[in-house]
Amino acid sequence: MAIGQNRYTISGTVRDKKTGEALIGASVNLLESPERGILSNSYGFYSITAPAGHYTLLITFSGYQPDSLPVDLVHNSTLPVELDNVAGQLAEVVVSAQKKNDNVTRPLMGVQKLTTREINNIPVLFGEKDVLKTIQLLPGIQFAGDGNSGFYVRGGGADQNLILLDEATVYNPSHLLGFFSTFNSDAIKDITVYKGGMPAEYGGRLSSVIDIKMNDGNDKDYHFGGGIGLISTRLNAEGPIVPDKGSFSMSGRRTYADLFLKLSPDSSVNDNSLYFYDLNVKANYKFDEKNHIYLSGYFGRDNLAFGNTFGIDYGNATGTFRWNHVFSSRLFSNTSLIYSKYSYKIRINSENNNIGFTSNIRDADVKEDLQYFVDADNKINFGFSVIHHTIAPGIIDASSGSSFNSLTLQNKYSLENAAYVSHEWSPAEKLHMNYGLRATNFLVLGPGDFYSYDSAGKATDTVHYNSGKIAKTYTNLEPRWSLSFQLNEENSVKVSYNRNTQVLHLLSNSTSSNPTDLWIPSSNNVKPEIADQESIGYFRNFKDSRYEFSVEAYYKSMRNEIDYKNGAQLIANENVESQLLFGKGRAYGLELFLKKKVGKFTGWLSYTLSRTELRIDGINQNNWYPAKQDRTHDISLVGIYQASRKWTLSAIWVYYTGNAVTWPNGKYIIDGQTAFYYTERNAYRMPAYHRMDVAATLQGKKKKKFESSWTFSIYNLYGRENAYSIVFQTDPNDPTKTQALQYSLFRFVPSVTYNFKF
Amino acid sequence: MRRTTAYGFLFTVLLASACKKVIDVDLKSATPQIVIEGNITNAGGPYEVKITKTVDFSAENVVPPVTNATVFITDSTNGISEKLIQADSGIYHTTILFGVSGHTYGMLVNVDGQQYTASSTMPRRVPLDSITFAENVNFNNQMEINAVVNFQDPTGLGNYYMFTEYVNGRQIPDIFVFEDRLSDGRYIQEPLFNDSAYLQKNDTLVLTMDCIDQNSYNYFYTLMNVTGNSNFQSVTPANPVTNISGGALGYFSAHTTQRAAISVY
Repeated sequence: MAIGQNRYTISGTVRDKKTGEALIGASVNLLESPERGILSNSYGFYSITAPAGHYTLLITFSGYQPDSLPVDLVHNSTLPVELDNVAGQLAEVVVSAQKKNDNVTRPLMGVQKLTTREINNIPVLFGEKDVLKTIQLLPGIQFAGDGNSGFYVRGGGADQNLILLDEATVYNPSHLLGFFSTFNSDAIKDITVYKGGMPAEYGGRLSSVIDIKMNDGNDKDYHFGGGIGLISTRLNAEGPIVPDKGSFSMSGRRTYADLFLKLSPDSSVNDNSLYFYDLNVKANYKFDEKNHIYLSGYFGRDNLAFGNTFGIDYGNATGTFRWNHVFSSRLFSNTSLIYSKYSYKIRINSENNNIGFTSNIRDADVKEDLQYFVDADNKINFGFSVIHHTIAPGIIDASSGSSFNSLTLQNKYSLENAAYVSHEWSPAEKLHMNYGLRATNFLVLGPGDFYSYDSAGKATDTVHYNSGKIAKTYTNLEPRWSLSFQLNEENSVKVSYNRNTQVLHLLSNSTSSNPTDLWIPSSNNVKPEIADQESIGYFRNFKDSRYEFSVEAYYKSMRNEIDYKNGAQLIANENVESQLLFGKGRAYGLELFLKKKVGKFTGWLSYTLSRTELRIDGINQNNWYPAKQDRTHDISLVGIYQASRKWTLSAIWVYYTGNAVTWPNGKYIIDGQTAFYYTERNAYRMPAYHRMDVAATLQGKKKKKFESSWTFSIYNLYGRENAYSIVFQTDPNDPTKTQALQYSLFRFVPSVTYNFKF
Repeated sequence: MRRTTAYGFLFTVLLASACKKVIDVDLKSATPQIVIEGNITNAGGPYEVKITKTVDFSAENVVPPVTNATVFITDSTNGISEKLIQADSGIYHTTILFGVSGHTYGMLVNVDGQQYTASSTMPRRVPLDSITFAENVNFNNQMEINAVVNFQDPTGLGNYYMFTEYVNGRQIPDIFVFEDRLSDGRYIQEPLFNDSAYLQKNDTLVLTMDCIDQNSYNYFYTLMNVTGNSNFQSVTPANPVTNISGGALGYFSAHTTQRAAISVY
């Protein structure tokens, strides 16, 4: 109890007792004032300031045994906390009633977190655990369809998601034609999805932030693990560099679909290759309680080749160096140096034509984030970031006998600057808020020629800027705020508003994402995209927080959205900006979410009712039309059942309204061939998509150090033929008729994976 | 570069295992729309303007001719203009015009009081050097024979080409267009990849090479993007970009043409 007016701070890091991994988002409270408290930050750091006195510090974290520690707050002190992992224990975790209702009390809206347990148990295609696929089972996050790793958040496009891996932007999160994401779940510690109410430290994309953190590695013992599946093998290793001071973690995987291709007796198939690999590495070292450095990297590459005639390889490489510094027990700093690159190369070889086409985007960032823990009711976050973007839109390297000229399109340089400040504040016991402002400043840099275009897309003027000169500046202020009002222990209402801007745009005139899609920066012709989103929600927990329910409604308006002229030439085109059309968008919807968090049976039901429309000058007679990703209904049902100590069963079912598509309303003959007549953009719907997947995991006998498990799964259990594409054509059997032909992928894909660790 | 796009490759992989079925879709019917195909070439006339209308998707592939049109073509370079005669139902013929490279032609069509106009300039003729054949692995993982057109692209951007294949007297329904945007001044050796029919040894191949203007190229390029059986997930479909104003579908093209016949080897 308070015995004086002096205020002192207790701070430290929350870690896993067995592995030393920092725990992100652990709830830290003083038992004596349970309404007041904070969450540990991305590095596990917490800091609480209170009047001098004797307190009990209560630390809780999902899946861990809560801990309470007596604290004599008579001077500033540090208190490292270690929690015991109870995951895998059958008995229902009994946690003190307090602080399981963070979802109700926190002002965060539109935020979803997934635990590794959920990710590990949810069935996926070919048994490849995949965080990006799993988050698509959450409300407001829409699966883009079989064979497409893109996803849509609250009506935004696939390029409007900021995907961060240890703070580095991952420009293309997909492998192998989009069937897999670039995130090897062995390497991943934490994933947080913001689909609205983004905190001010994030920016650069309109729709969402997917913040993925890699494992730090066990700083106590060496461990090895891996898995063997039908299409890939994974291996990982972790261990101390210096016990309790530093550790490393490495994870790699490679697919071997092409090994099966090689078995084919057809010699032409033998020349094909189809594989990807990726490698995550991380190391960290703690100099003392105040200084901690981290180095993390990701490298992945896909290689697809078609005989000797055609090949493409593409991939991301990222690197992050971070330095955590505790200036004082209340001021936490992280400084990051980040590098990210995405590149692809296409090779085309025939007798006379040997052509290589490459393109890449490279980022170098400096980022500083500071958190000032004023007291249990006030926290101030502030910082800045500077990102230098270099985009090489295309380099054609043609042999001398080729039909094509060698060509290097000019590089595009730009600087994306941002500064932010936000305040997390609890002005009253039941009222929590987080408000802030992000200021962004985008500089389009020389050297380069900058063109102006007339309405027909002809260049009317060219201005040359030398290196270092600024061709165009865009400055935007992005206010963000969210507020929660707690009605009682179990009920709260939240509202939020945020503005986001986006200065990099992905050009893709095909209806699904491709590795060759082109990133372009804003310029004199292309303005930054701007979105304003308001949302309101009701959050409720039932039965001592065993169940969690929420309903959120959102309205989002978007400006400077990009579409393409008919027949747009996006590849190797210096005047690519002349091929674009601009307009606006609006998206609104209602999201319902019911989750059972604890017990033998866990899972959730998510339902989204939504509408997304675009109005682009020059498309659909300038009328509003449904965006491709407009989904009236989207349902996900997830169940995980711990049947016994050995068996875990799980199933998911998804249903969504088919994508909006453009189909012909008539036909005619041109040059003797049938052509189709289109009158309205996206006026039709693909058939509804639905699918059920099931999985069963069998835990092997635990030996001294060795653990293993088998996972059996079936994707698309009832063999639904979901439409991948619907094509209109002349009936091959009756040339006087036309027909609609539906293509579908993946009926019943069984898989088995063996996982081990020691 | 159609086949060299990445997604061409993706289809192979995806659709090798895909199942296909013909489905019923309920497509709305649209008000019939005028379709105009007009061609002027450097070969002798008569030149043809064909006028038809669209039909519903579910109808047979027979389009009604428009027989009450008045059609004028003007050589605006030399000022000669003529009214075309309806030679067959919906097919209108010239009698005096002669196509010349460098001349600009205007077309004026009037149907039921609605005017449709277009103009096209006949480019200069680029000679076809030769036709050769190459074997390539196609996306069904089989060897296929492709005709390769060989010709010298003249220096200076703005050359557009269109090729048509007739195999044993039958027109192959694939559209082949080529522009020199990335190939200016090169000796072009471009394989014509077939989507719908394959060449066999000893077939008789007749090939035409047309030098077309930019508008015609845009028309056929955008038409190609929405036709053919490989149009799985490319662009959102739309009507091809026409050079006819007034709201008609189709095109008006003044182009040079040349043909060559060869036995496939």
